[in-house]
Amino acid sequence: MANDAQTALIEMKNIDQSFVLSTGHKINVLKDINLTLMPNEVLTLLGPSGSGKSTCLRILSGLQIPTSGQVLRGGFALCRANPDVAMVFQNFALLPWLTVSENIELGLESLAFAKGKIKEKVRQAIDLVGLEGFEEAYPKELSGGMKQRVGIARALVMGRPILCLDEPFSALDVLTAEVLRKEVLSLWLSKKTSIQSIVLVTHNILEAVSLGSRILVMGINPGHIRMAINNDLTYPRDEKSGKFKELVDDIHDVITQSIIPDVPEWIPPALAESVSESFPPVSINEVIGLVEWTLRQGGKIDAFALAHALRKESVQVLLMAKAAELLDFVDTPSNAIVLTDLGREFAVADVNHRKQLLHKQLDQLHIIKLLKAKLEAANHFSITRHEVVKFIQEWLPNEPASRTVDTLIQWCRYGELLGFNADKQTLYLDLGEPN
Amino acid sequence: MYSRVVARLEKSKPGANTVVLAFLGFCIYGLIATAKQWHGPYRSGISLDLSLAMLPLYATYSLFRALTAYLLSLSFTLVFGYLAAKVKIAEKLIVPLLDIGQSIPVLGFLPSLVLGLLALFPDSNVGLELACIIMIFTGQVWNMTFSFISSLKSIPKELYEMTENLGLSRFQTLLRLELPCSATGLAWNSLMSMAGGWFFLTVCEAFILGDQNFRVPGLGSYMAVAIENNNTQAIGAGIATMIGLIVMIDFVVWRPVIAWTGRFRLSESNDSLNRNIPFVSLLLSEASVFKKMAEFSQKFFRLRSEKKRAMNANSAILLRSTKRQRSEQPIRISLLSRMGQMGRTKGLAFAIKSLVALFVALIAIKLYALVSVLGFGDWQEIFLATGLTFLRVIGAVILGSLWAIPVGILIGLSPRLTRLLQPVVQIGASFPAPMLYPIALAFFQLMHLSLSVSASLLMLLGVQWYILFNVLAGAVGISQDLRESFKSMSVSKKSHWLRLYLPSIYPSLVTGLVTAAGGAWNASIVSEYLIYKGEVLKTRGLGAMISQATSQGNFSLLAACLMVMAFTVVFFNRFVWSRLYETVETRFRFER
Repeated sequence: MANDAQTALIEMKNIDQSFVLSTGHKINVLKDINLTLMPNEVLTLLGPSGSGKSTCLRILSGLQIPTSGQVLRGGFALCRANPDVAMVFQNFALLPWLTVSENIELGLESLAFAKGKIKEKVRQAIDLVGLEGFEEAYPKELSGGMKQRVGIARALVMGRPILCLDEPFSALDVLTAEVLRKEVLSLWLSKKTSIQSIVLVTHNILEAVSLGSRILVMGINPGHIRMAINNDLTYPRDEKSGKFKELVDDIHDVITQSIIPDVPEWIPPALAESVSESFPPVSINEVIGLVEWTLRQGGKIDAFALAHALRKESVQVLLMAKAAELLDFVDTPSNAIVLTDLGREFAVADVNHRKQLLHKQLDQLHIIKLLKAKLEAANHFSITRHEVVKFIQEWLPNEPASRTVDTLIQWCRYGELLGFNADKQTLYLDLGEPN
Repeated sequence: MYSRVVARLEKSKPGANTVVLAFLGFCIYGLIATAKQWHGPYRSGISLDLSLAMLPLYATYSLFRALTAYLLSLSFTLVFGYLAAKVKIAEKLIVPLLDIGQSIPVLGFLPSLVLGLLALFPDSNVGLELACIIMIFTGQVWNMTFSFISSLKSIPKELYEMTENLGLSRFQTLLRLELPCSATGLAWNSLMSMAGGWFFLTVCEAFILGDQNFRVPGLGSYMAVAIENNNTQAIGAGIATMIGLIVMIDFVVWRPVIAWTGRFRLSESNDSLNRNIPFVSLLLSEASVFKKMAEFSQKFFRLRSEKKRAMNANSAILLRSTKRQRSEQPIRISLLSRMGQMGRTKGLAFAIKSLVALFVALIAIKLYALVSVLGFGDWQEIFLATGLTFLRVIGAVILGSLWAIPVGILIGLSPRLTRLLQPVVQIGASFPAPMLYPIALAFFQLMHLSLSVSASLLMLLGVQWYILFNVLAGAVGISQDLRESFKSMSVSKKSHWLRLYLPSIYPSLVTGLVTAAGGAWNASIVSEYLIYKGEVLKTRGLGAMISQATSQGNFSLLAACLMVMAFTVVFFNRFVWSRLYETVETRFRFER
C-alpha cells in the first residue's frame, strides 16, 4: 500500500540504541535500524523478546532518544514526544482513580478545548470502541478487554495520525484479543478516525500476518531488522486461506533459521577448541517437558504447533528445542523437533537415571569442561558467581552472561555436576558434600 | 474501646456533622488565639498557669504549632522530594542531607535556631514561636520526604510514557499522576510525622539555653512546668488532654484523609486485607524507604559496594528492588550521557560539585574551630558516654522486642484482636512518651533503680510501639496457606513459632528495630537528663551530655556530641541495619 508519491510520516535513520547497566556493562539493544512509515499502512514489528521492538516503537514515538541516529518527522529531526503519535500500552496505562471518561479526557487535557467540545469528543470515542454504559466505571471494575478499549479510546480522542500499539493484546486472553484485533482493524479500515497508519509491535506471528501490510521481522543480539515482508492479502484476512498459511510458514522459517539453523556455522578445526556452545536461557524443567511431550507425540513434533499448544512464544519453544539439541536429546530438521535415541532413553528414565544422563551430557560440553578445569585449579574447588560471570563473558561474549550463568547453575545442580551456595554466592565442584 | 467509640461516632452521621462544625469553630478560635500570642510583646520566661481552665488554650497553641510545622514539612517534602526524584544532582545533595538531618536530635537545631530567630525578631514573640515551630518541623519532615521520593521513583515507566505521549505538561503530570500515586504513602507518613512532632513537645516549648529560661505557652510547656513543680493533678490533666488531642486529630483529620487517599492506589489487586489493615501499607511504604536507603548507601560507598553488588547480582533483593527502576534507568542514563556529550551539564555538575565541596569544607573548618577547644579529656568522656548510651539503646530495643514480638504476633494472628487493638497501638505510638516520664520515674524510684538503668526503660516507653507496630503488620501478613499447611502437618507449637511466625515477620521486624533504635538514640536526650520534682536528674550518657551542653550554652561540646551521635546513627543505618535489611529481604520476603 505504500505509495512513493506520498511523503513519509516518520523516518528512522541509522538508529543505534545501547544502555549502560548499573553494573557498568553496556548492552546493545538496537543496531542500525532504518525504517519509514508511510501513510495508509499497518507496519508490524515482529520479533522475540529482546529484539528491541518495543524500544524501536518508543524511539519512533519520541519517548526514547536513541544513542545515535535520527528520527525524522516531516523532514525534521524529532527531539521530544512525537505529537503525531497516539500510543496504546501493553498494560493499558490507565489511572485507577479516574473513571473511564476521565481517563479518556486525559488525552485532551493538553489541548485546551472547551468543556462541551471535550464531552462531545469523549462521547464519540466511547461510541467508537463500544464502551457505552461504562462511562462512570473505574478501571478496576472492567475486564482486560474493556480496559484496553479505554486505552484505545484515549488514543483515538487525541486525533493523531499515527496509532502505535505496543503488544496491545498480549495481556488479554486469546478470544478477547481476537475480538479487539478485528475491531482495531475495522476502525482503521472505516476511516472514521484520524488514524492514517498503525505501527504494531507483537511477538505473535498470526497477529502480525493478519494485521500487517508490511512486516518487519526482527532478530536479537543486538536487535536488528532481519527481513521486510510486504503483505498484500486483502482485509479482512482469512487465517484458513492458503496464502495466509504460506506467509506464516515463511516467517516461521526465517525465525527458526535464526535460532536453530539447519546448517551449523562452519568452524575451522584449528579454532574448534576456542569456541563454545551458546547456552539458551531455558530451565531444565522446560527441556524435560519438551522431551516428554515429544515422546507422547510419537517422537516428532512441529515447533510452531507446540508453541500454539503450549500458548508460548514460538521463540521460547525454539530456544527449548535448541537447549535439548545441545544435550543431544533432540534433532531439529527445519521446523521439526525429533527425539534422538538418547532423548528417548531420557524421556522414559526415572529421576536418578535422568540425572545420570544429564550429568554425562553436560560433562561433554566444552564450556563445562573449561569451567570444571577452572574449579579444579581453584582454592577449595570453589569460585564466586562473579568470577563465573566474568569467565562466561570471555567465552560467550554475545550473550548476557548473568542469565547464562543462572541457566548453567540450574542445569549443573540438576545434573549434580556442580553445586552452588546461594549464601556465599559461590560455585563449587559437587564432590558429594558442600564446602 | 477506642475503636468502638470511633465506630459509633462514624455510624451516627448527625453526630459526625456536629464534630466537624465544632472543629471548624475550634480552628477559628485557635487562629485568633495564636495570632494574639504571636503579636504579643516578647517575654523570655513566661510563667504558666497550671489551672485546668487554661489547658484548652494551651492545647490549642500546641496544636497550631504542630499543624503549622506540618504544613512546613509538607511544603518542604513536595519541593525537595520532587527535586530529589527528578534531578540527579539534587538527589545526590538532598538524600544525604535528609539522612543526616534525621539523625540529629531536635536539641541540635535548638541553639542556632533560637539565637538566630530571636535576633531577627527582638521585640515580639514571633522569633521564639518560629524557633519552636521549626524544632517541631525537624521532628516531622524527614520520613515524609523519604516517602515522597520513593513513591515518585516507583511510578511505573509506562504511566510516565503515557503522560508524555498525551502531551501533559510537568505540572499536569504532577497533578494527575505523581501526587495521586504518592498520596497513600504521604498520608501514612504524615500521621507518623505528627506523632514524631509531638514527641519532643515538652522540649520544644520549654528549654534552657545558657542562663536563659525559654518558654512558649502550650501543652508541652504546661507539662514541663507541672513536672518541675511535681503537680500531680496538672500532670494527669496534661496527659489526658494530650490523649484527647491525639484521638481528636486521628478522628477528624487522619481517618478521613487516609480513607480518601485509599482510592489513589496503583495496584488494583491489593486485596481487602491491605485496605483494612492500614499498618501494612505504612509498612510497605516504609520498607521501600529503607530499600531506597540501602541503595543510596550503595551509591555513596561505591567502592565497597561494587564488590558486594556483583556478588549479590543474582540475589532476589536486587532483582526485585531494581526491577522497577531498571526499566526506567536506561532513559535517564541515555539522556544524561547525551547531556554529557554536550559538555554543558558536565560543567554545571562540576560547578555544583565544587560549590558543595567548598560549602562542606567551610562547615568543616567552622566545626573544627568550634570543636578544637575541647581537650583529650572531653573526647574521652564523649566516647565513654556514647558507649553507655549505645548500651541503653540496645537494651531498650531488646527489652521492647522481648514483649512486642510475641504480643504483636498473637494480635496479628487473630483478625478480631487486630481490629480491636490496632487503633490502641496507633494511639500509643502517637503519644509523646516524655510526658509519661514522671510517672514512670516515680515507679522506678520505688524499685530502687538508678537512672543509669531506668534511662533505658524510659527510652523503651517510646520505642516499644514501633516494634509492636511493625511486628503486628508482619503478623497480619503471615501466609494463610502456610499456617494451614503447618496445621495439617500437626507441627508442634514451638516449630510454629520458630519455623513460620518468626521468619515471616523478620522483614517487618527489622524495619521496626531500625525505627526503634533511631528513636531510642533521639530519646536519650530526654531520658538521660531530666527534671523531676524540681531537681535535675542525670546519668552519664551522650544524651545527657547534649542536654547539659545545651542548657549550659557550651556549644563546642554540643557540636562535638551531635557530630558523634549523627555519625553513630548514620553509621548504624548504613552498615548494620541496611545490610541486615538486605539479608532479611533476600531470605525471608515472600514473593508477592
